[in-house]
Amino acid sequence: MAQFSIMKGVGTIPRMSAISEWSDRNFKWLLVAPAVLLILALSVYPLLFSVWVVFVNYDFQIPGHAFVGLKNFQQVFADPVARWSLVLTVVLSAANVTIEFLLGLALALTMVKNFRGRGLVMSIIIVPLFISPVIVGQAWTLLLQRPFGPTNYMLSLLFGHDVAIGWLTESPWLYFALIIADVWQWTPFMFVILLAGLTSIPSNLYEAAELDGVDGWQVFWSITVPFLGPMIMLAITFRLLDAVKLFDTIFIMTGGGPGTKTYTASFYLYTVGFAQFHISQATAGSWIFLIITVVVVSVLVRRLLEVEPT
Amino acid sequence: MAMTSMRPHRRRAPIGRIVFIGIYLLFVLVPLYWMFITSIKPSDDYLAVPPVWFPKAPTLVHYTAALFAYRGLQGIINSLIISLSATVLSAFLGTLMAYSLARFNTGGKHLAFWVLSQRFLPPVAIVLPIFLIYRMFGLHDTYIGMIIAYTVFTLPVSVWMMFAYFRGIPKSMEEAALVDGCSRWLSFRKIALPLAIPGIVAAAIFAFIACWTEFFFALILTSRYTFTLPTVFRAFLGFQGAQYGEASALAIVSLVPSIVLGTLVQKHLVRGLTLGAVRG
Repeated sequence: MAQFSIMKGVGTIPRMSAISEWSDRNFKWLLVAPAVLLILALSVYPLLFSVWVVFVNYDFQIPGHAFVGLKNFQQVFADPVARWSLVLTVVLSAANVTIEFLLGLALALTMVKNFRGRGLVMSIIIVPLFISPVIVGQAWTLLLQRPFGPTNYMLSLLFGHDVAIGWLTESPWLYFALIIADVWQWTPFMFVILLAGLTSIPSNLYEAAELDGVDGWQVFWSITVPFLGPMIMLAITFRLLDAVKLFDTIFIMTGGGPGTKTYTASFYLYTVGFAQFHISQATAGSWIFLIITVVVVSVLVRRLLEVEPT
Repeated sequence: MAMTSMRPHRRRAPIGRIVFIGIYLLFVLVPLYWMFITSIKPSDDYLAVPPVWFPKAPTLVHYTAALFAYRGLQGIINSLIISLSATVLSAFLGTLMAYSLARFNTGGKHLAFWVLSQRFLPPVAIVLPIFLIYRMFGLHDTYIGMIIAYTVFTLPVSVWMMFAYFRGIPKSMEEAALVDGCSRWLSFRKIALPLAIPGIVAAAIFAFIACWTEFFFALILTSRYTFTLPTVFRAFLGFQGAQYGEASALAIVSLVPSIVLGTLVQKHLVRGLTLGAVRG
């Protein structure tokens, strides 16, 4: 009897069924399979499919898809609106990311030390991160839209004469409006990451600097900046990669207008594809945009991996 | 005394700090306040000069109009169905994959970075072909189509957040279980998974917020039936202010749940925003 139970104990491992043995051996691949298959189905397959779309004339009205070679690409290159939208995307995202970074850094520096009510202030600062960009656009429209919004009224009080700016219709004001909405939403993104970086700087460095009598700016440049460096890279890279996708607030606040003045790359491609139904041309344009993005991404991510302390 | 005043990180006058933070808080809160006030303001107050900062006769009529006349309620229901399903799927599949990446280094660095790169694809580059494929397969404007799209859209974040989480859990206990004859699945199910629950919850909440607030995919992949809450706002465009109350009411209804959830997972925020690259 005793012998039997020992035998049984020893025998458990070899007695696993063939299926469970196979699944145990391939366990790590079984775990990744569902996620990988889904990404393949909804990201890689569409991209491959779109390679075909760019070389034909894909039109819902016209049956059959005639091969047109590079005509779709030529049309995008020849379109001045396409070029304009790309320029605007670069300028707007550069402006947005720069302002968000500087403001986020200033906030992080003021918030790094503890004070009464810090927790509550933190909770309020991060609120915009949880709001749909559509609603952010709506909120700023409410504030800025002439004649309904209170902005012009407040400015009139401030300057003592009548201010009547068409914030969502006049250049250059509408660019300020778009930037302010983006800054409102994404400054906390920079803030949160930079604050995490600041709090991880060992405090004895500051104490040593203090003993040596180093002044504030010198401490900032010789301790804070080098230590924060990787975090700054990370924050800017992540933010920039999202900033170039700018679409939602434009859709709500200006609708791309007036004319095509506020067309970003995403908005341009959306309009060509879904308002004009030039599916193939839009797909060709999105390939150009994708290639530009991939080049920028790989450069940034490579630099990010270089500086990462791990 | 002199030493104290020399301290670089204490030199900044506290008054300047308070003013700066105060102005910034105002900047954050004013749009939200104005939106809330607009949502309870009678339409007659819209164009009043000076602006009405608090209405004398607050009203809820915009809320009922936004929810029923503008089908906001249907948008909420659709958003809940789609976001919740996608969140569960994304958290589940993301956790499985992350465990494999963290414990067995599956596919080396390449597989992990391939997943990460999906996060940075411009949506406009893949949404066109997805739209065409969905039309071919009858998935356009269906719950299934949206759930699949949102699952894939949130997977990179789920995978990378959980990847970082599992790397922070020591694997000695699982190894002990394996020595005792546990199958790999069982050691994952019984040992690693319970320890990872807080991380999974945080990752799931971020995925939910991402789905709840997403606009671009929904704009293109839905129309009459499975339109999500953010897409309802299209109805308020181009009326020169006539529907501001309704738009604000719907905005308030929509932002409350995501802000509440976001505040709950505040301490995981750094990890969420950097996909686990930075520990909060």
